[in-house]
Amino acid sequence: MNQSRKVVVIGAGPAGYVCAIRLAQLGQQVVVVEKEALGGTCLNVGCIPSKAMIAAGSLMEKVSQAHSMGITIEGMQLDPAKLVDWKNAIVGRLTGGVGALLKKHGCQVIMGTARLLDKNTVEVTTKQGTQKVSCDDIVIATGSVPIEISGFAFDEDAVWSSTGALSPTTVPNHLVVIGGGYIGLEMGMMYHHLGSQVTVLEATGGALPGQDRDCVKVIERSLKKKKINLLVNTFAKQWSRSGDGLVVTIEKKGKTEEILCDQILSTVGRRPYSEGLGLENVGLATTESGFIQIDKQMRTSVSNIYCVGDTAGQPMLAHKGSKEGLVAAGVIAGKPEEYDVRCVPAVIFTAPEMASVGMTEDQAREAGYEPVTGSFPFKASGRAMTLQDTEGMVKVVSDAKSDLVLGVHMVGPEVTELIAEAALAIEMGATSEDLARTIHAHPTLPEALMEAAEAVHNMAVHIYQA
Amino acid sequence: MIEFKLPDIGEGTAEGEIVKWLVSAGEAVKEHQAVVEVMTDKATVEVPAPADGTITKLLAGEGDIVPVGDVIFHLDSAGGGAPVAESEPSAPSTHEPAPAVAPALVATATTSVATTTTSKVLAVPSARRVARELGVDLETVAGSGRNGVIRRADVEASVSGTGGVSTVPRPAAVSEQRIPFRGVRRKVAEAMTRSAQTAVHFTIVEEVDVTELVRVRQKAKALGAQQDIKVTFMPFIMKAVASGLMKFPMLNGHLDEAAGEIVLPGTVNLGIATDTPNGLIVPVIPGVESKGLLQLAAELGDLADRTRKGQARPDELRGSTFSITNAGNIGGTLATPIINFPDIAILGVHRIVRRPGVVDTPDGEVIEVRQYMNFSCSVDHRLADGADAARFVAHLRETLEEPGLLTLLLALKIDSMESFS
Repeated sequence: MNQSRKVVVIGAGPAGYVCAIRLAQLGQQVVVVEKEALGGTCLNVGCIPSKAMIAAGSLMEKVSQAHSMGITIEGMQLDPAKLVDWKNAIVGRLTGGVGALLKKHGCQVIMGTARLLDKNTVEVTTKQGTQKVSCDDIVIATGSVPIEISGFAFDEDAVWSSTGALSPTTVPNHLVVIGGGYIGLEMGMMYHHLGSQVTVLEATGGALPGQDRDCVKVIERSLKKKKINLLVNTFAKQWSRSGDGLVVTIEKKGKTEEILCDQILSTVGRRPYSEGLGLENVGLATTESGFIQIDKQMRTSVSNIYCVGDTAGQPMLAHKGSKEGLVAAGVIAGKPEEYDVRCVPAVIFTAPEMASVGMTEDQAREAGYEPVTGSFPFKASGRAMTLQDTEGMVKVVSDAKSDLVLGVHMVGPEVTELIAEAALAIEMGATSEDLARTIHAHPTLPEALMEAAEAVHNMAVHIYQA
Repeated sequence: MIEFKLPDIGEGTAEGEIVKWLVSAGEAVKEHQAVVEVMTDKATVEVPAPADGTITKLLAGEGDIVPVGDVIFHLDSAGGGAPVAESEPSAPSTHEPAPAVAPALVATATTSVATTTTSKVLAVPSARRVARELGVDLETVAGSGRNGVIRRADVEASVSGTGGVSTVPRPAAVSEQRIPFRGVRRKVAEAMTRSAQTAVHFTIVEEVDVTELVRVRQKAKALGAQQDIKVTFMPFIMKAVASGLMKFPMLNGHLDEAAGEIVLPGTVNLGIATDTPNGLIVPVIPGVESKGLLQLAAELGDLADRTRKGQARPDELRGSTFSITNAGNIGGTLATPIINFPDIAILGVHRIVRRPGVVDTPDGEVIEVRQYMNFSCSVDHRLADGADAARFVAHLRETLEEPGLLTLLLALKIDSMESFS
């Protein structure tokens, strides 16, 4: 139990580096192998840089709305190069911080490509050459990569992946986004705020498939208001150059059309990444969708090899990966850890923002509950009015019998922050009455969650419930 | 070869009953083909084969209760199929057999997790962690929070024995409760079924005038109090039973079916049915025939106390030659106790009631207020007959109605008692 184990963590994204630090805290010897950059997708080309850019877009949007507060700003201009520099500085601070933390905890970091030779040996290829690292345990945290669709290979010039979209040299005049999922909408709205005309192509019948439909309606309304063109049941077939511009061929209900634009962004999803890792050398294989199967202790079918993060399964979210990293580290250190969470919150930085945790009404019904809901619109929130941001609402799904909070779905101002309280409520087994009876400071946005919880019992004070 | 372990079907199941094998050893199966029907407390599920191949061995019989993680069949996979399929992704880790005393890091973790369930039981995150560390099954912990939510302190209390443990969840505001049928409850069920289906029960009830005994016990109680010993009626009854069993040994012992012999041990080890927060448990006080009344009272108090706290040693919970069950202070006038198998007989003790009774006095028969107690004795008719039982309960009546006689019994060696009745 107290014997220190040597562990190789492959991948230094939010699952891998968190796992490595926790392993070190628990007294294990850790080698981290990272192929590209410390911090992984999240810190370098995902969550953090996109939020930086989105914040800039939102600020421009706010400034342009400020006239009703009596503020007029003439000549607002965007310098894309400076914006990208600012974003890069944030990324640099964070990834530097990860490196410093790993070092302070005594983790050895090797920048190189890892390949499993057998269940106790990892081959690492660096610029200097190839070395073999022997170890007691291996943690696979190799993450995911954007999915390419045929005809739209990423050249990061005409066709951006999300990575290219985070380092623009200019703001496109007309951006065509392929994929109306959360990444596509976040990026599409961001570019709209920065000044682009935006068209979003979605293959299914609506934006944000899988999310609470009442919340999605608010987003679809917002798209309409912003004049972002959302084309549903639409497939992107191919593209070509035409003079200075680009032509995207789309197919909608069997009919072929062409859209002129000057930039294409393809965000149709991400897939787990484990190519070249040598899984076959240890007898591991991936599922059809590319995930490595694990148990509740993050262990693969090889007992000393663990898998965490995007490679380990849905949802592909940084915070889920980090939690899995903590679990794997505990298990390796001999603790009876287990991935035992009741819920994983999800946040989407559209305008307005969306956030959800726990079950939707349909999921609750399928799970055998008798769901009842309570909603509260931000239109009735004093704080939302003072923020000039009253679109959206909070919806609480609870069980009619036990009053347990089963899920919370939000769309509106700062809901990505508000969702934390809802996640805690679900983990703690709180009832909607518990939420309703907890004093929420006035005037703040979280009051909307309290009121939505009251609304479950038809007792919301600040709206009229017939 | 794939050693297929019983997966955690439907999340949070600890074990499953093998209802029916849908294949036999030697049979070829396709991946996803249903192999076995397994029943859990939640549902009956068909478990599919993890890969193409041939079933080489079935390791559990139909009707067996198998813990999640135990290997239930061997599969020789065709083309070296993906070993990933060895267990369901949601199953607790079981890649290494978990030894009883886990020597390896990995196995330690594996062992404790296998006992934990989280998804169906409402417990706060810290309670889930503590439950895993202490090896507590959250389904056996009564939550103190609203809706029965289990808090960390509930889990800790369930282990320290200061409460919290119950196989019965707190009553909630729901109309129907579904309580997992396992643990002590199921052990009791198994033992009772075995007894009822094996022993041929008959019950004889005797009424005993305990008016004098009540007086004597009052005095003994005061005597015991001086030594901090709580003297109930039970030690008196135990002494009377012991002397009866020494006299009628055919009721004291068990049947060794394998050897075809009735075993009469020559000593009286009394099982005392005890109601604990975990359910019915029967600790045993050995050598009752040679122990003094106060000693018995002291031993009984201590053992019952430790049993209720879950601290009785395993060797204190077996080896009875006869058992006593006492529901007297709760209610009922007579009962048909089920024998604590493989004992030959059991005695049920009922409450003391005041009734008018006919008493012989020098002035003739008079009616007085007397105190009566009923004894229900169930006997395995395969091993003893009605006359044996009648003589035994008559002995109980005689000794308990004449506390003076009982005192003598206590003072004298048991085997010299023949002349007394």
